[in-house]
Amino acid sequence: MTTAVTMMFLFAVAAPAQWLNFPTPGVPRTPDGKPNLSAPAPKTADGKPDLSGIFESPPGYTGNLARDLKPGEVSFQPWAETLYKHRQETQGKDDPQAYCVLSGVPREHVVPYPFKILNTNGMIVILYEALHSYRQIFMDGRKLPKDPNPTWMGYSVGHWEGDTLVVESSGFVNNEWLDNGGHPGTEAMHLTERFRRPDFGHIDLEITIDDPKAYTKPWTVKLRFTAAPDSELIEYVCSENEKDLNHLVGK
Amino acid sequence: MNLVAILILAQWVNVPATKTPPSAPAPKTADGKPDLSGVWEAEGQTYFFDLAAGLKPEDVVPLPWAQALQKQREDNIHGDDPLGRCLPHGVPRINTNGLFPYKIIQTPGLVVILYEQLNLFRQIFMDGRSVAKDVNPTWLGYSTGKWDGDTLVVETSGFNDKTWLDTEKGRPATEALHVTERFRRTSFGDLEIRATIDDPKAYAKPWTTTVQKNHLQPGTDLLEFICNENEKDRPHMVGK
Repeated sequence: MTTAVTMMFLFAVAAPAQWLNFPTPGVPRTPDGKPNLSAPAPKTADGKPDLSGIFESPPGYTGNLARDLKPGEVSFQPWAETLYKHRQETQGKDDPQAYCVLSGVPREHVVPYPFKILNTNGMIVILYEALHSYRQIFMDGRKLPKDPNPTWMGYSVGHWEGDTLVVESSGFVNNEWLDNGGHPGTEAMHLTERFRRPDFGHIDLEITIDDPKAYTKPWTVKLRFTAAPDSELIEYVCSENEKDLNHLVGK
Repeated sequence: MNLVAILILAQWVNVPATKTPPSAPAPKTADGKPDLSGVWEAEGQTYFFDLAAGLKPEDVVPLPWAQALQKQREDNIHGDDPLGRCLPHGVPRINTNGLFPYKIIQTPGLVVILYEQLNLFRQIFMDGRSVAKDVNPTWLGYSTGKWDGDTLVVETSGFNDKTWLDTEKGRPATEALHVTERFRRTSFGDLEIRATIDDPKAYAKPWTTTVQKNHLQPGTDLLEFICNENEKDRPHMVGK
């Protein structure tokens, strides 16, 4: 906890020093100049909600994506339950993220690092500070590939349902960790993410995990992200001066 | 190369390549500026190996310590290259490796470049901000851009002193490095890049590369690149 607090403090000091006093353009502000997080959500030229901006994850989900769910809502297949218990008991020593491999999705959305959403022609891009990674969400009508090369971030296509951006993803690797706690994900995983921006300052994300190889039924989590205007992503280089790995020894 | 081509097609098999010929004029954005957006790849690895390719020896004048370090790296067959340790390339080296495509995304106020190699990205701010004087040093620096006619001029500083400017030569750079990159889309299918290296702590005078050609890669996209996964190369990078 002390380490976490120290890190947060360091980050807070470092961030303003980078793009000194530069206010994010286009941010609605209160009369005192502060970002007005409760202002209406912006729209793009075509009238759709504009999701662009820097956002931070709600605290508390890093270790357990399913923390708000009741027992039984996450219903493991037996092998997946055994694996999950093993990961818990060995304190995450086999966590791929510790080896500087990408966190994957949806885990990138529950780690304590901001991400930036960009709206472009036919595509929404998310830049993640964590592990310096990105994800492309194709909005040009293409379908998910039937037999993709498995990847950590998967393949994502999106469409609008009213004011909700619906993103479908598949094509994941077989050893995804959905959170630091080690909820497993497999190549059979299909994610549905529903993004809504109720006001300028927030994005509500509903994630449905449908992975019949690991879970007997789909399960859904809800997260609320907070906008972080007048800030920027910081360079994150996992492989540099890495000292943690040899301490990850389990029990 | 064949294998790569097959894999790419298998991934986005439903995405048709554009029918626009590469020789067509460069597209424009709504504000009349050239639109650099697209998936690009450097022509070969000429500048990746030697950023000073095509220049005369007197064009690049390293200070004595920089020359000694560069020679040491070259003699040691670049066994200490940070890129071999999954660390970022630095700028402008990141644009130069013709084995991996990159994707330019042009939005109002911000140009983003996504790189396949190492899964990296760069943000180039076009909103008038300037780089703070005393930034945290980074591998990829802080970039701002502006238009000079049809040329996107990107200024980058705030580097750490660990980046290599090129691979075979291993030219060093310091925290004083300031890079100016000039991107010009000369036709639908062609993008030219020239970089100026201004690093008074390492070189006696600024120097400018010859023109690096880049070609549009239609009908394809970036693949996921995970440097640390099943990594087998590093133990073999022993130098001499």
